[in-house]
Amino acid sequence: MPPAERDTKLNGARLMVQDNFQRGESGFPGRLIVVEGIDGSGKSTQIDLLQKWLQSRGYLTIFTEWNSSPIVRATTRRGKRRHLLTPLSFSLIHSADFASRVHAQVLPALQAGAIVLADRYVYTAFARDAARGVSRPWLRRLYSFAADPTLAFYFDVPLEEAIQRIVQSRAAIKYYEAGMDMNLHEDLFESFRIFQGQILNEYEHLVEEFHLIRIDATEPLVDQQQRVREIVEPHLQGVARIPDRDMHDFLRQVGLQGRYIREAQPAP
Amino acid sequence: MTRLAFYGDPPPNVEGADLPGRLIVLEGTDGVGRSTHIALLKEWLEAHGHAVIDTGLRRSDLAGRGIERAKRGNTLDSLTLNLFYATDFLDRLEHQIIPALRAGMVALVDRYIFSLIVRAAVRGVPRDWIQDVYGFALIPDKVIYLDIDIAQLQPRVVASHGFDYWESGQDYLRTPGLFDGWVTYQTALLAEFRRLADQHGFTVVNARGTLAEVFHDLQHEVRQVVEGMSRQSVLPPEPNDA
Repeated sequence: MPPAERDTKLNGARLMVQDNFQRGESGFPGRLIVVEGIDGSGKSTQIDLLQKWLQSRGYLTIFTEWNSSPIVRATTRRGKRRHLLTPLSFSLIHSADFASRVHAQVLPALQAGAIVLADRYVYTAFARDAARGVSRPWLRRLYSFAADPTLAFYFDVPLEEAIQRIVQSRAAIKYYEAGMDMNLHEDLFESFRIFQGQILNEYEHLVEEFHLIRIDATEPLVDQQQRVREIVEPHLQGVARIPDRDMHDFLRQVGLQGRYIREAQPAP
Repeated sequence: MTRLAFYGDPPPNVEGADLPGRLIVLEGTDGVGRSTHIALLKEWLEAHGHAVIDTGLRRSDLAGRGIERAKRGNTLDSLTLNLFYATDFLDRLEHQIIPALRAGMVALVDRYIFSLIVRAAVRGVPRDWIQDVYGFALIPDKVIYLDIDIAQLQPRVVASHGFDYWESGQDYLRTPGLFDGWVTYQTALLAEFRRLADQHGFTVVNARGTLAEVFHDLQHEVRQVVEGMSRQSVLPPEPNDA
């Protein structure tokens, strides 16, 4: 296939030793689209809108989220709740979570030709863990098993605006979110501000290093989404669409209501 | 003194002077007698007035239980397992080993990073990657490798707990029987261990002899490391002391 249709490559593919990972440099038929940004940048909203749009056009999509592996998550939660995590164990347990999702969700879906939408990817580790003092080169080598995304968007928002959004929308800021483990400030809110500022600074470097696509996250929501879709569009060429994805159309055709079809079916 | 030196980048926030304790590691494959000898060495060192902590795989507060739980399922891939073990190791290094060394204790470690590197390598994880991940490990004062061959190992495994799923490499080998898997897996492990022993200059102790012979050799090696440490005479010297 021409490179344009297989542009999701395995970076450090040598790590993926299981037979089905041996595709290596040849790439996968699927696409991997990543959103990054600090808390309050609006990236989760944007990727949700993107997924709905792709689904409505008949593309097979899967969504994967930072820190959500069913195998690892309980340990991370334990570490956070009991304040057991140091900068390096915070980093390692998140890499285990990531590895587990790459194995169980991301790679199989890419191989099956789906569009994988990732809310946070390796860049989150690069930014956060470096802000905690973990070695930047070591982090890049640690995550060398990750596939390179087809597209990685960075939702760029000024620190004060992000903080305002967080404060308005959430009851409490959590200990590690605020970087309280770093002894930056005794006040949780001040610590949060300092730590998010450091992460923002790390992201600035990552945008350059990895050519992340910068989206102005202060723009109206629909304008941002419009721009994201324009950028995604050309990369959809050659990606398989799934017939009968639109359950509503189908039900209308056969004259049924779909009363016993579970919620898990694609949304209308 | 344990020099505050690491294989690669040190963990953030770990800095300062050298540590007054001693870090002694026992490495070797499953069934070679590591835990028995750790128990014996601990008692012996304590009887000589040393404060000792011992630690081993999956004994971290953070990740020990998580690994046990994960291993019960069937969806665990080797990369995730490796990173889970790395988390467990780091947590013990930061919260058990380094504080003990700082307090002037002898830390006896039943398997350090080397067993983990070996297990990853035989499963096809690139050696340079896994060694690099463990760059945050403190360099021990002494790493003792208990050397054995399959032929001597076999009766010991039969006589103790038998052939186990993980110790027979069944998570990645597809052998019809446990025994075939055990031979293949342990042979590969031993080859990797010997490679690492050369690379890092481990102290090799012959583990083929009797318990008394092996323990005698271990005492000899450990005595050299703890020599000159300050001790508390908590117990009278034992009459049959070696």
